[in-house]
Amino acid sequence: MSDMITFPDVVNWAVPFFIAAILAELLWIVIRGRGGRYETRDALTSLLMGAGNVASGILLGFIAYGFFMVLWEITPLDLGTSLGVIALCFVLDDLRYYWVHRFGHRIRWVWASHVNHHSSQHYNLTTALRQTWTGTFTFMMVVRAPLILLGFHPAMVLFVGGLNLIYQFWIHTEAIGRMPRWFEAVMNTPSHHRVHHGRNPRYLDCNYAGVFIIWDKIFGTFVPEMEEEKVDYGLVHNLGTFNPIRVAFHEWVGIFRDATQPGLTWRERLNYCIMPPGWSHDGSRETSTAIKARHVHQHPEAAGTPGLPPLTERAP
Amino acid sequence: MPLSILLPMVGLGIAGIAVLLHLLGLSRRATLADEAAARAAWLREFPGDAPMRVTLCHDRSAALIMTETGRGVVWPMGADTTARYLDGAQITPTRTGLRIDLPDYTAPRIHLALDPNETAEWRNTLEETA
Repeated sequence: MSDMITFPDVVNWAVPFFIAAILAELLWIVIRGRGGRYETRDALTSLLMGAGNVASGILLGFIAYGFFMVLWEITPLDLGTSLGVIALCFVLDDLRYYWVHRFGHRIRWVWASHVNHHSSQHYNLTTALRQTWTGTFTFMMVVRAPLILLGFHPAMVLFVGGLNLIYQFWIHTEAIGRMPRWFEAVMNTPSHHRVHHGRNPRYLDCNYAGVFIIWDKIFGTFVPEMEEEKVDYGLVHNLGTFNPIRVAFHEWVGIFRDATQPGLTWRERLNYCIMPPGWSHDGSRETSTAIKARHVHQHPEAAGTPGLPPLTERAP
Repeated sequence: MPLSILLPMVGLGIAGIAVLLHLLGLSRRATLADEAAARAAWLREFPGDAPMRVTLCHDRSAALIMTETGRGVVWPMGADTTARYLDGAQITPTRTGLRIDLPDYTAPRIHLALDPNETAEWRNTLEETA
């Protein structure tokens, strides 16, 4: 079995491109007076989160890689490193990304890591770099296990994961409206991903795709960008700090405080960790499902339109 | 990429972009145009709790909000705004206005720029409704 395969660390090699693209987008916005917004502290926080993500990868990356190498020792399968296998690995890893991302919005333990990516009220190329520092602690590396057990080398799996991340960089922009129809139909685009970053009830919890938007269409989570409803970026409850430490850890702190409050059953403590964000033992908070239901009761004309449920008899 | 190249590039890149943004005038904080804007900013965070009273500060950088549920504040987060209820808040006068300390990890401290008269008024209001 081939253990000594190496692939380039494409994310690190893409750093100069990231910087150049941010400068180009900024220049475009300043000269044209449209196509997005930048603000110094917001952008600085996003960039520091990106740097912290790289640092956490250097410090903690060995945990996931060690786990993958154990799986590689176990599996009797080895698909090799042909171009076709790399392409197949890229597509299957994108399916893996879809589910990890979906878990990241529907399981609070995973959301605690992913929330920081959504914590900016801006949507520009720096937002793409507002990445987690705590991904290792979500244990979502297990979702990659089937790929390695099927015979894709761990280095290849990480390589295509890096390509996936680089693809997603350019879609974090308001400077690009819509791509050609065929492209919008198959690929994740700035338009589709703007929707994903929306805090509007309609746009909550949809468009989880990394590269191929077809996964959302297959699994019923696709919502198109609506001309009549501009995307409002950020969190349902926006942060009141630019401190990167607080941005990185605030939801973990929230889980700890919720799960350790006195008078709860063990089931309720567990639910504060694994139920969707917004769940509470006494119903005092709102999940995205409750937010959408309340919205359609306040705006019945929107019921049943993309991203919103039909109107039900019972008021939320 | 070797760390000896990556680290300086990341450091210089971040610093350079931040300085450029500041020089381009993109560090300006949001202001609330009027009470309606303050009301809208509050409702953006708490759509189910409409303000009954809105008190905008003189430089329109923040607003005190009274609702049926309680009191809160709207303040700028860079070019945007956010809002919080003031449950458990500690109010401290400062040289430039008031400092609000909240038991909230996501918004631990709010600095309000108020003139001396406003500082007294806001402090009284906050203490009356505490």
